[in-house]
Amino acid sequence: MSSDQDHLKETDTEARFEFKKEEKSAFKSEKGLTEETIRVISEDKDEPEWMLQRRLRALKQFQQMPMPTDWPGQPDLSEVDIDEIVPYIRPDIETRGGAEKWEDLPDEIRDTFDKLGIPEAERNALSGVGAQYESEIVYQNMQEQWEEKGVIFMDMDKAVREHPDIVQEYFMTKCVPPSDNKFAALHGAIWSGGSFVYVPEDVTVEMPIQAYFRMNSEGMGQFEHTLIIAEENSEVHYIEGCSAPKYSHFNLHSGGVEVFVKEGAHVQYSTVQNWSKNTYNLNTKRAIVEKDGTMEWVSGSMGSKATMLYPASILKGPGATDNHITIAFAGEGQNIDTGAKVYHNAPNTKSTIESKSISKDGGRTNYRGLVHIANGAENSSTSVECDALMFDNESTSDTMPYMEIQESKVDVAHEATVGKIGDEDVFYLQSRGLDDDDAKQMIVAGFIEPITEELPIEYAVELNRLIELEMEGSLG
Amino acid sequence: MSTGLQSVLSEGTVREISEGRDEPEWLLQQRLDALEALDDLAFPAVIKTPGRKWTDLADLDFESFVDPLTQSDEKDQVGPSGVEVLPFAEAVDAHPELVESAFGNVVDPQTNYLTALSTALFTSGTVIYVPEGVNAEDVKVRTTMNSRSLFNYTLVVAEESSSVTILERQQTGDEVDGARYYSGITEIATGENAYVQYGSMQDLDQETYNYQLKRGVTDTYGTCNIVDANVGSRLTKTSVEVELEGDSSETKIVGAFYGHDDQHFDIDSRVWHEGEHTTADLVTRGVIDDDSRSVYEGVQNVGREAWDTSSYQRENTLMLSDESEADASPKLIINNHDTEASHSATVGQVDQQELFYMKSRGVPEQLAKNMLVEGFYVPVLDEIEVEELREDLLEVIRARLASRTA
Repeated sequence: MSSDQDHLKETDTEARFEFKKEEKSAFKSEKGLTEETIRVISEDKDEPEWMLQRRLRALKQFQQMPMPTDWPGQPDLSEVDIDEIVPYIRPDIETRGGAEKWEDLPDEIRDTFDKLGIPEAERNALSGVGAQYESEIVYQNMQEQWEEKGVIFMDMDKAVREHPDIVQEYFMTKCVPPSDNKFAALHGAIWSGGSFVYVPEDVTVEMPIQAYFRMNSEGMGQFEHTLIIAEENSEVHYIEGCSAPKYSHFNLHSGGVEVFVKEGAHVQYSTVQNWSKNTYNLNTKRAIVEKDGTMEWVSGSMGSKATMLYPASILKGPGATDNHITIAFAGEGQNIDTGAKVYHNAPNTKSTIESKSISKDGGRTNYRGLVHIANGAENSSTSVECDALMFDNESTSDTMPYMEIQESKVDVAHEATVGKIGDEDVFYLQSRGLDDDDAKQMIVAGFIEPITEELPIEYAVELNRLIELEMEGSLG
Repeated sequence: MSTGLQSVLSEGTVREISEGRDEPEWLLQQRLDALEALDDLAFPAVIKTPGRKWTDLADLDFESFVDPLTQSDEKDQVGPSGVEVLPFAEAVDAHPELVESAFGNVVDPQTNYLTALSTALFTSGTVIYVPEGVNAEDVKVRTTMNSRSLFNYTLVVAEESSSVTILERQQTGDEVDGARYYSGITEIATGENAYVQYGSMQDLDQETYNYQLKRGVTDTYGTCNIVDANVGSRLTKTSVEVELEGDSSETKIVGAFYGHDDQHFDIDSRVWHEGEHTTADLVTRGVIDDDSRSVYEGVQNVGREAWDTSSYQRENTLMLSDESEADASPKLIINNHDTEASHSATVGQVDQQELFYMKSRGVPEQLAKNMLVEGFYVPVLDEIEVEELREDLLEVIRARLASRTA
């Protein structure tokens, strides 16, 4: 680790991702989780009564549910102590619900996002950017042309107030109910911030919509909620970036993502996450896909101490399609337990899962997946491909897919391979004049190409930079 | 464990079994230790995803199955000269030291509740002893179960540079009203440079619950291949495990199953790579029809010190009916990066294009389908060295397919 750290300090990526700001907040809730805390959060956010009631019900469920402990080879969560977490911090901004203009943001917040390259990305003409700092969205902007067509992109807190009908119908009711798992329940109780995206019928949002989340305070939890509703025959690409600097204490990130893909709609949800290496990243992400709809999950999981994340698609309507492309990278002391879940509940549904993982310096990656084909989902097909690349003998790579097939007229295939970086490939590149490090980096870049191809260039570059950085650390 | 077995299971029962067979003190002690451990042992691990468990062995009503004092079977134990194929009790007399040192060495009797139960109660068994340098082909052990419950034990010891191919067959004989329980444990010690192919053909009647664990350990340059064919039983939980302990040792685990009616098969193949330069190849093919159900788990576990490992796994399931269900979970656990490993699993139905081709050549649809199903098994049939096992398996497959058409 020490060589990693030294190296981090010398690169500008250190400056981009590991810097932290002095904590300066308007409201900080007490540590731990009580009914009182929830009431304070809800009141502070000016929420309607129904939302408070939902939070309180989720809290009860959270308190009753056990921690997941019996999954084979799961990350150790014994350090996750909810009582030590500050569930809610509102940054000090005068304008409620986010600033209108970039210049209105306090200097240090703006500076933080500058370093992360958010305005740069926006200057590159992305259609909208929302940036969450701690628990609330602080900046949001979307090009007017989309607004005119009825596209809504706003911070989730604001959506509760401004679009109560839609939110009340969809928020943690059909897709990710708090009863789903312990951390979904926790999320339901203390969620804060996040994005609300609504795309009306027949509207195609041609530019990706972007949000960036950042945790800046030690020992805090971040619980942003993302709700995407794509009405019939609409199309949208939503991108989320996440990062948190490093602290001595642990952080908890427990986000919730709900995506509704209506008939014939197409949603791509892409994310590159780079949490600090003391963050527990325990998320629930799920999409419900109606007839002929398409859901695409593209994700790069970097950083964190432990990640447990299995984006799920429920293919509810005939002809629905799901594509998963994921990459996980685990270095020293990291346990990235991630995968994909697909439920084929209707005929003629299709899914493909492509999962790549890289482990080095004692890192541990695990692909944990589930493909369920329900009785009656005839002519469904699924193909799962997992490839793992290992750098050294301290690392571990596991693959644990589950396939539950209740229908005979199907086509199900799973394949996984594990290998070390090919000596022959390295030798070939060296014979062409590359040094050892560059050769290995080039091989890794080729290995992750299927995912970088799916991302807009800024994110692909960021992902490549992050992986390069991790690699340099190991080889330098 | 509350299985309601207390009424039939007691120290007295175990002593009665052991004394009736004139067993040495060490074996009685092993049995009693296993009996005592029952209270603390769990049922064998089955695949489960959060919130779902596919095979619930703990739900079995053991009290109605297990009647340890009336165990009865017919056994046919044959082998070529040079190799000893002995009933367990005889082997204990003939080779007391060998049996004592090998018993419980590869399969810890206290692995789980069902292995301990088997160790405490077994009355039927075979010891196959292949001395150094001996080549033995076609060792055959046929067990016909005639009682409500039967606990069987097989011990294979293949000494340095020996080779042996074995067929062990389990079937049911005399009619018994209601459900039965068959339990079998097989231990295979593969010596240095030895070669073993152990094949099992389970064709118990469909009222029988079946638990089997077959486990092999290899020494340097040893090869331990296991064929596990399952066609019978009401519910089967079978585990095939090989521990590649010696450097440059190998294993090939071949599985075949055919489920129909409401049969349930829970099958796992596991291999541990511990030595250097070890190779494993896991091949399983199964067909399920009617309301039957299969659960498959394959684990390739590469240890920290297992340099230069090659490990491959393939599992294919053919579903012939809409009511059948198939679950698969091929797992890779890799702790050494100097590894080439892959696994794959597929589930599907008879290939429509192949079917169309055959029909276009004038083969009637049902016959074409049957031929394709038979052909589906070829990759596993090809691996079976004992001809009788291959023929038996093929015969069952054909009979099932024929009854399907009728």
